[in-house]
Amino acid sequence: MNWLRLNWTQVVDLTVDHLLLSVPAIVISVLVAVPIGRLAHRRPRWGSPLLGAASLMYAIPALPLLIIIPAVFGTPLRSSATMVIALSIYGVALLVRTAADAFASVDTHTRDAAVAIGCSPRSLLWRVDLPMALPVLLSGIRVVTVSTIGLVTIGALIGVSSLGNLLTDGFQRGIAGEVLTGVVVTVLLALVLDGLLLLAGRLLTPWRVSA
Amino acid sequence: MIQFEQVSKVYARGSVAVEDFTLVVPSHRTVVLVGSSGSGKTTLMRMVNRMVDPTSGRVLIDDVDVREGDPVKLRRRIGYVLQQGGLLPHRTVVDNIATVPVLNGTSRRQAHHDALGLLERVGLSSEVAKRYPAQLSGGQQQRVGVARALASDPNILLMDEPFGAVDPIVRRDLQDELLRLQADLGKTILFVTHDIDEAFRLGDEVVVLRERGQIAQQGTPEQILAHPADDFVRHFIGADRSERSLTTTRVDGRLVVVDGQGRPVGVMRDGA
Repeated sequence: MNWLRLNWTQVVDLTVDHLLLSVPAIVISVLVAVPIGRLAHRRPRWGSPLLGAASLMYAIPALPLLIIIPAVFGTPLRSSATMVIALSIYGVALLVRTAADAFASVDTHTRDAAVAIGCSPRSLLWRVDLPMALPVLLSGIRVVTVSTIGLVTIGALIGVSSLGNLLTDGFQRGIAGEVLTGVVVTVLLALVLDGLLLLAGRLLTPWRVSA
Repeated sequence: MIQFEQVSKVYARGSVAVEDFTLVVPSHRTVVLVGSSGSGKTTLMRMVNRMVDPTSGRVLIDDVDVREGDPVKLRRRIGYVLQQGGLLPHRTVVDNIATVPVLNGTSRRQAHHDALGLLERVGLSSEVAKRYPAQLSGGQQQRVGVARALASDPNILLMDEPFGAVDPIVRRDLQDELLRLQADLGKTILFVTHDIDEAFRLGDEVVVLRERGQIAQQGTPEQILAHPADDFVRHFIGADRSERSLTTTRVDGRLVVVDGQGRPVGVMRDGA
């Protein structure tokens, strides 16, 4: 507690850094995984292998991945861009299968009815498929969010600043309060974002609350 | 007017859904296709709005082949009511009714205003407007389904077993409502059901189907009841059921109608 009282401004700065790494990664994960999930659901012949490959990327160990990314994408090794790309790869890997399941969860009877009354393929996607896939999709996004908040800490190993700094620094210098602060604040951050997503889900799917 | 000209539908694995079907649905009339499952009745109906394309033959609306032009535009000018309403569960009742007008470019405000009028037209109070489909009873959902089909003021209504999933009393209410609406609106209605009593109640003309869309008999309900074409029709319409073979008996100067088991079912009106 004493450590936190003396260093709280640093904790705030690191929390901001932590969010600047994780939020873009979460957004990119969603933007990439949802189209792949839809493709896998609509065109399994092309989509299924892509889905399998994307899921498998979760098996790549973190440290090699952080070295491969600069080689492939040309980003500097110790940069937040490298970190965001790595987090996005893990996020996509986690989310693609849930995204495919989310589109599969859309009631075929409802979909058929929408086509029959004259929804074009585009309005079918935006007015029927996406809103009705949202509940399942959101559960996947919540998993990715919590996972990403946790994974950001490994950035400290390659010198990208985040709450992970408190862990590496605390271990090296033997400051238990610093390590504890790092763990607790990371967990709190994950809980807060998860709560916000839960709330957003309630607001975006009012038909489920009132049914 | 809807015309089926020798339409057939063969699926990829060789199963034949419909074989050489020809029918004219005259304008402003209700024609009911009635048959058991496998009769191809739903397949036939879905050919009209191109949810199914025939393998051979043509479907014409007012002498124009439905395959000319864009299927999406075609569907937007045909009202479609299906079992369990087929409402979008994530849209409110007014949004559901306003779906097609909004897709067609009507302003949201105008479409919502029109939707409230349609709610009244199908016998629902405007209180349900802001509810979601899951908050309505089956009968109410079905009424909303009819209102949605009427929203773009189509000439043609396709109704695919619309009242199949509600209990008999509600079904009867809905049938009465449809008869009342049709007397007002005079749409061209193609109605599909497996319930012969519903077919006789609603149809100006009834088409009894065997398997693969073969017409067993076609005519007014009276004609079919009076002269079933063959044993299949006779059996299908239950001509031998006790409630179909009525006799009269005189009781205290009035004619009482009795069914085949001797149970009284009604009284002949004086002068009838």
